[in-house]
This record gives sequence, C-alpha cells and structure tokens, in this order.
Amino acid sequence: MQRFNLYQEEYHPSPLVNIWLEFRRSHIALSGFVLLVLFLIITVFAPLLAPYSPELQNTNAILLPPSWEPNGTIAHLLGTDGLGRDVFSRLLYACRTTFGSSLVIVAISVFIGVGVGALAGVLSGLRSSIVNHLFDSIMSIPTLLIAIVMVAILGTGLFNAMMAITLALIPQFVHQTRTYVRNELQKDYVLLDRLDGASSRRIFIFSILPGMVELIVVQATIALSVAIIDISALGFLSLGAQEPTIELGASLSLALDVAYVAPWLIILPGMCIFLMILSINVVGEGLRSALRNRLHH
Amino acid sequence: MALLEIKNLTLFIDTGNATVKALEKVNLVLNEGEILALVGESGSGKSLIVRCIIGAIPDYWSIKADRITYAGQDLLNMSYEQRRQIMRREIAVVFQEPTSSLDPSVTIGEQLEESIPDELISKGWFWQKNKQRRQIAISLIHKIGIKEHQKYLSAYPHEIPKDVSQKIMIAMALASEPKILIADDSTRGMESTTKIQILRLLLKLNKTKNLAILFVSHDLLAITSVAHSMTVLYCGQTVESGRVKSLLKRPLHPYTKALLDSAPSFQVSLPTKSPLVALEGTIPTLQHLPAGCRLGPRCPNARKECVQVPAPRAIQDHTYSCHFPLHLPEKLSHQAQRISKGIGGDE
Amino acid sequence: MIKLFIRYLNLIVITIFTLIFLSFLLPFMFPGDLLSNISGIVPQTNEQRLALEHAYKLDQSIFHQFGFYIESLLNGNWGVSLADQATLYNEVRIAFPATLELVCYALVVSIVIGIPVGFMSGLKNHNPIDFSVVTFSMVGYSFPVFWLALIFITIFCLQLEWLPISGRVDLLFDIPVDTGFLIIDIARSSIENKHQAYMDALQHSILPTASVAIVTTALFVRFTRRSIMDVMNKDYIVAAKSRGFTQSQIFFKHGLKNALLPILPILALQISTLITNVMIIETIFSWPGIGRWLIQAIYQQDYPAIRIGMLVVSLFVMSMTITIEFITRAIDPARERAESAAL
Repeated sequence: MQRFNLYQEEYHPSPLVNIWLEFRRSHIALSGFVLLVLFLIITVFAPLLAPYSPELQNTNAILLPPSWEPNGTIAHLLGTDGLGRDVFSRLLYACRTTFGSSLVIVAISVFIGVGVGALAGVLSGLRSSIVNHLFDSIMSIPTLLIAIVMVAILGTGLFNAMMAITLALIPQFVHQTRTYVRNELQKDYVLLDRLDGASSRRIFIFSILPGMVELIVVQATIALSVAIIDISALGFLSLGAQEPTIELGASLSLALDVAYVAPWLIILPGMCIFLMILSINVVGEGLRSALRNRLHH
Repeated sequence: MALLEIKNLTLFIDTGNATVKALEKVNLVLNEGEILALVGESGSGKSLIVRCIIGAIPDYWSIKADRITYAGQDLLNMSYEQRRQIMRREIAVVFQEPTSSLDPSVTIGEQLEESIPDELISKGWFWQKNKQRRQIAISLIHKIGIKEHQKYLSAYPHEIPKDVSQKIMIAMALASEPKILIADDSTRGMESTTKIQILRLLLKLNKTKNLAILFVSHDLLAITSVAHSMTVLYCGQTVESGRVKSLLKRPLHPYTKALLDSAPSFQVSLPTKSPLVALEGTIPTLQHLPAGCRLGPRCPNARKECVQVPAPRAIQDHTYSCHFPLHLPEKLSHQAQRISKGIGGDE
Repeated sequence: MIKLFIRYLNLIVITIFTLIFLSFLLPFMFPGDLLSNISGIVPQTNEQRLALEHAYKLDQSIFHQFGFYIESLLNGNWGVSLADQATLYNEVRIAFPATLELVCYALVVSIVIGIPVGFMSGLKNHNPIDFSVVTFSMVGYSFPVFWLALIFITIFCLQLEWLPISGRVDLLFDIPVDTGFLIIDIARSSIENKHQAYMDALQHSILPTASVAIVTTALFVRFTRRSIMDVMNKDYIVAAKSRGFTQSQIFFKHGLKNALLPILPILALQISTLITNVMIIETIFSWPGIGRWLIQAIYQQDYPAIRIGMLVVSLFVMSMTITIEFITRAIDPARERAESAAL
C-alpha cells in the first residue's frame, strides 16, 4: 500500500475492498482464511496431492503409527489403518468429500432459500403467513430428525444425507431473506422505484439483492459450518456416506473398532473436521466484525 | 460565579484511519442561574460538548482540556464515584432523542421513580418509601404540565407521543433537583406549540429555582427569546460568546453575523425582494477540516493570517476568536485583551 | 395479551396438526409393506392380513384412516415395534425422559455458565479476559460433538479410568423405571444405598453432559456477549449513566432485560441443535434415550418406531420453541407493537 499521498483527496475504497481491508486487520481472521483456502485446495486437488490411492491396501504395513512415532515410517506420513491403507491419502479424500459436499449443500440452500425468502417477503396476507410459519416450523426441527426420516424413506447414502441437510438449511435463508426484504420494502428508495413503475421482481433483483449479498455470505459461512458438522455426524452414525465413499465422519466411526491400538485414527479425522469448522467460523466472525466496523465508521 | 467552566477542550476521535480533532479549544462558561445557549449548525459538535461534560465517552474518543470544572471541582481528575455523585445530584441532562433515551422495557413511572435520589425520600419502611416515590413522581409529572399521570406513568416509552416523552425526560432530569440542566437540542423537530411550552417550562424553572440551563440548539429564534448569553460554535471551534443582546446587536465574528443574517426575523429592515445572505460553500467534513480558523475558506474577510488559530480575545464579557473582527477597527481589535496566551496563538 | 395467547395457541394447534399429518403420511412413503409399516406386525396368513387391514381401517377411506390414527395416538395406542414387538408407548415413555434429562443437564450448565460469562466478557470487552472468553467460545462451538465425546472417552474412561463409559447408572442398582427421570426414580425407589446411586448417576452423566454443554455454552456466551455489547451502547444506557446511576444499577435495571429479550428466541432455536447433539451423544455413551432408540430403529428399519419417535421429538422441540417465543413476546413490551405493526 502506498504510504505517502500527494493529494488531499482521501482514498475511498469500494464496499468490498473496504471489507477486505477491515478483514485483513485481524490476524486471526486472516490465518483462518489461509486455512480455509488450504481446505479448498485439498478439495479440488486431492487426487493430485495424495501419495497413494485411498483404496490401496498395503498388507505389510497394517496399523502403522504416524511417522513421528518411534516405529512409524516416512513412507506413510500419518500411518496406516486396519487394512493397511495410507491415512494421509484417505484424509485428503475424506476432506474432499466432506468439504465439497458441504459447499454444494450450502450453494443449493442459498439459491433456494433466497428465492423462496424473496417470494415470502413480497407476498402478503394469508399466503405469506402460511409460507412463513411453515418454514419457521421446519427451522426448529432438529437436522438429525429430518435426516433420519429421509434415510428411512430413501435409504442411506451421501446423496440422501446431503438432501436432508439441504432441507434443514433452507429455512434459515428463507427467514433471513424474508425479514430483510420486508424491512427494505418499507424504505423510501423502494417506494421511489415503485413509483417509477418497477415490478416487484425488478425491485428485488436490482435494488434489494445487492445490499443483501453481504448478509447472505455471512449467513452462508454459518450454514457451511453447520453442514460440515451434520454431514460428518451422519457419516459417523453410518446414516450418511457409505463405503467405498471416504468421508471424515465415516472414517472416524470405522476407526472406533481399533481405537485402543490406533488412537491417531480417531484423532486425525476429528482434528480435520474441527479445523475445518474452526477456520470457517473464524472467517465468518472476521467478516461479521469487518462489516460491523465498516458500518460503524 | 462560574458554575460550569470549560477551558480549551479538545476532543480527538479515532476514525480508524486517522485521528480528527472534532472539537478544538472550546471554551464555555455557565454562571449560576444563567441560561446559556450553545448555538451551532448540525455537526458543529454541540452534542459532543455535552457528552464530554457528562463523561459518556466511547473508547475511540480521547479528550484533552485545560479544565472542565463544576463549581470549582475538577471533573476530569476526580474519581469515578465522585463524578457519579455530581452527575446524580447536581447536573441533569435532557437528550436529543427522547424516545431512544428511555429504556424500552421499563415503564415511564418506574424510570421516573428510579431517578429520584434516595436522599429526597424520608425514612420509613420500603412500602412507605415506594409510596413516597410514587407521590414525588406524580408531582413531577404535574410540574411539567402533564395532567393525566395515571395514563403515562404506567405506559412504556413506545406508547407515548414524542413531545410527552421529551417532557418526561425533563421531569426525570428535575427529579434529582439539580443545579444545572443541560438541554441537548430538546426542542428539535417539535411543533411550535410544544416547543413554546417546553421553553416556558425551562424559563419558569430558571426563574423559580435559580436553575442554570445550558441550552443547546440551532434554533436562533428560540434561543434569543429565553437565553441570557450565548456561545456560538462552528465546526468544533467556539467563535464567539457573550450576552445575547450584545451579540445580536453587534456580532464581531463573521460567522455569527452570517448566522444571524440567514434568519430573516433578525433583520430589522430587510428590504423587499432583497437576496437572503448566506455564506458560500458548506461545512467541511471532519476528515477535511481546514487549518487554523475553520471558517477560513468560507469567510468573506479571510486573509493569510487566518491559517493560524485565532486566540480568543475579550471586550468586557464579549469573547470572540477572530483575527479580523467586524465592527472594530483593526487597531482596536489588537488592543483587546488577550485572554489566552500562546496556545495556538500567533505569538 | 389474550389475543396474543390465542394467536400462539392457534399456531401450536396448527403445528401439532401438521406434524401429526406428516407422520401419518410417513408409512406410505417408507419402503416395504404398508400394513406392517403401520401396525408393526408382519401378517402370516391372508386372514390375519385382512383382519389387520380392517383393524387399522385400511379398507376404508384415507380420512377414516387419519381419524383412526389420531384416535389411537390420543388413546396411547401407539402400535408395536416391527423389530421386537415391544409396545412403542412404553418404549418412548422410558426413553424420552432420559433424553429430556440429558437436555436439562446440558441446558442448566449452559445457562449457568454461558450467560454470566457472556455478560462479563461483553461488559469488559477488549481486555484479556474478554479475549480469552471469545477464543474459548470460538473453539468450543467449532467442536464436532461426537469427536469431543470420543476424546473424552479416550482420556477419562480409557486412559485415566475415572468415569464410566456408558449408560445412565450402574446395573447393580436395581432402580425400577417409574417416571423415567432418574433423579426422581432413585428417590422413589426402595433401594438402601440411595446416596451411592446418586453419586453413580452423577458420574455417568458428567461426560455426556460435558460433551453437549461445551458446544451449547460456547454459543450462549457468544450470543449474550454480542447482545450486551449492543445494549450498552444504546442511548438509554448513556442517559442512565448521565443520571449518575451506579454501574450495577444500570446493568441490572436496564442492561440485563434488554440484552436478554432479543436473544431468547435465538436461544430457543438452539434447542433444535441441542437435541441433535444429545441424540448423537446418546448413541456414543449408550444413554438409553430417544436418540439412541431412533438410531437403533433406523438400523433395524423399524418404521413404526421411527414414525412415533420422530413425532414425539418434533412435537417436543416445536412446542418448546413456540412457547419460548410466546413468553418473549409476552414479556417484551416493545416487541409486541413492532410485530403487530408488521402483520
């Protein structure tokens, strides 16, 4: 950044740049962001990064401890599991499944949630009341319960778990969008648009949506961490991803049988989930305080 | 005798990127039993001064002042508890926004009773005390000209009209029988009838209880009708202060003159179809304050000396801060007694 | 006020009705034989099938079926489990209080620790204590519950052997199930060493409670902290300070209520997260609650059990949420007006 400024004019960054500048001021938020980017890279490039195939069973090295332990080898960085598969490679693939599917879930929920929320915000009278109460009710049903019902109907599997979690995540976006749209519709700039003859759809897309993006992004970070927890929890309960799909929660439950002899098989996947959620929460918190600071000044 | 005195108050606000001087060397004297008007446009820092006096300062503000005293006691260097006691009994504030200054979750009656200090209640069991509190609250409500006390005491702040809540705020301020009442733009945005009611109320309190009032406003007409003296503020600098009469008759600072000229009711002989006088330009933002006298760029009489902050000078009790005052020959203005030496002056 | 009560009563009734209707539809969507999905009995002969169909009014219209369903729900005639022919009503009556007990423990811990800590940290923000509280809460609510529970088990049960690994109370204590709430059951039972039984129950509940409560506490801390920080910057707090009230007077009279009111509904929404976590924890610690029971049911594809379990849990969560919302609305004078203006 330039240090000297010849001109009196102040530098007025655009809102997005401003958020980034505010965000960057917090070192913790920034390190969370770096970690998140790392997970994103793993998600995209897992096959390139993994030293072994996750299915490859090395029968000569079963339950090998991580390489820093006395009898670990550098060939298997984080050791091997009960079938002699390389833990590091499996972790990369598992991160990929968990993080990737969570991203997809959140993207779909945002898309549907904002759409329905906008509709509910514009609607009035009985119809809006029905839509609102319906979604508010779904919001308070525990995710696991929805997942159990979905699994009971459709059977286990990653895709069904994803559907259940999407269903559970949508209402909060609906709720938030609806409240925001409701509030904005009362404001004068919307009235001005309306007097100019703009349709409700046009008002939503061009006047309300741009102001809402930040809000949605922050909400999406929360949803992302919830999605990761839920996906891995369902995997852990063997209601989600099934073999041969490799998923963090599922790997954790597989490791339960050998927990006595190989505690690292429990520690490592859990650590991955924890770090993933932590990084997202840190970034989300950083974004929120950046937004708050921007509005404050 | 000066009840409240502020000398060279400077307020720094940290805006994140830079620190700005929101107030610069503000001087203010409020004498016993006097109504002092603090005049200035919106954004000139009137409310900031009030906040400095009451000590409600957020983390990102810092103040520097030669002194802020109440009846000779230094408000800046006293313990929190001492200051709290003074705020409790001696100084009362009526804020700008009555509706947001009342707690939304507590009834008016309770809030009013809460502001009655324990010392005013004679001894007794708690139910007797409660009854007394209620009595005092009702009499306070009556005092400020509201008759239906039942209706309002049990109401929540959002249920009552704005002018009533403003009166309630005044009642709460009076509950502790203070020496000073600070009215922070209390009549802003009110209908003229309610405004007159409130002004009359303040005037009556001043006469009967010898209550000193610091009346913060931008409403010149209201000020001149009630105040004894006034202090004019521009962009966080005090430009002129003195008796209302002498200020109106002969403003020495160009800004005061412009302010008075902009209100047609003060023009004794305004010819028909003559243009209304107004200063060129607008108030600078806090980030772009000019150096020296902040009126500089807009002042019709500005010269190169004006990049220095003018030191306040006094002719009798009329103080002004200008290098080139109006109505005074240059020679005379230099003879005027310097009341502040050195600090920011051109020595 | 009465209008408000009626509105919420209306909402509750509609919600309950919707949930019952949804659970009525479930057997039609479950795979397998509709009759066994509803009744929990696999008919052996054709006559038996016809008799069952007649008993469950499957030979009549869907409205009759629904009416019969509601009737049997009200009668406590909830059917039998497909897996072991156990009466579902009895099963739920035993399992649900166990879950409720764990939920209560976790809620009490979260409220007792979370809210005061949140207030403390929000009032003294930007000092080292606040910073460590924020860090703790950030870490705390990033923990996946099941992992936390596994780590606790590894440390406290397997390594240190301080605490028991599973169950609610040692089987040596022969405590008859009466209300389903262990504390009351122990008190009402006729065993001699009640004190020991209480200690044992306490030891069993520490780890499950801790695993759930850490996450919930962290959430509560964050909400309370943010809320009190916002409230303390409000005009009326500045006004109260200017009136020379003491710090504690300002906090208890003006800060507390205003800070708690807006977060009550948010905290109520956390009940749903809490229940999910409790259900997971139950399976890990073999806590005989409804979560473990439901997950067992799904492993065994016990559809009648899933239907009833889902209905009971969602009814509970829903009525809790709506009740708390109603209470908030009732005690918050400003909110009532704002909301009715929007409707």
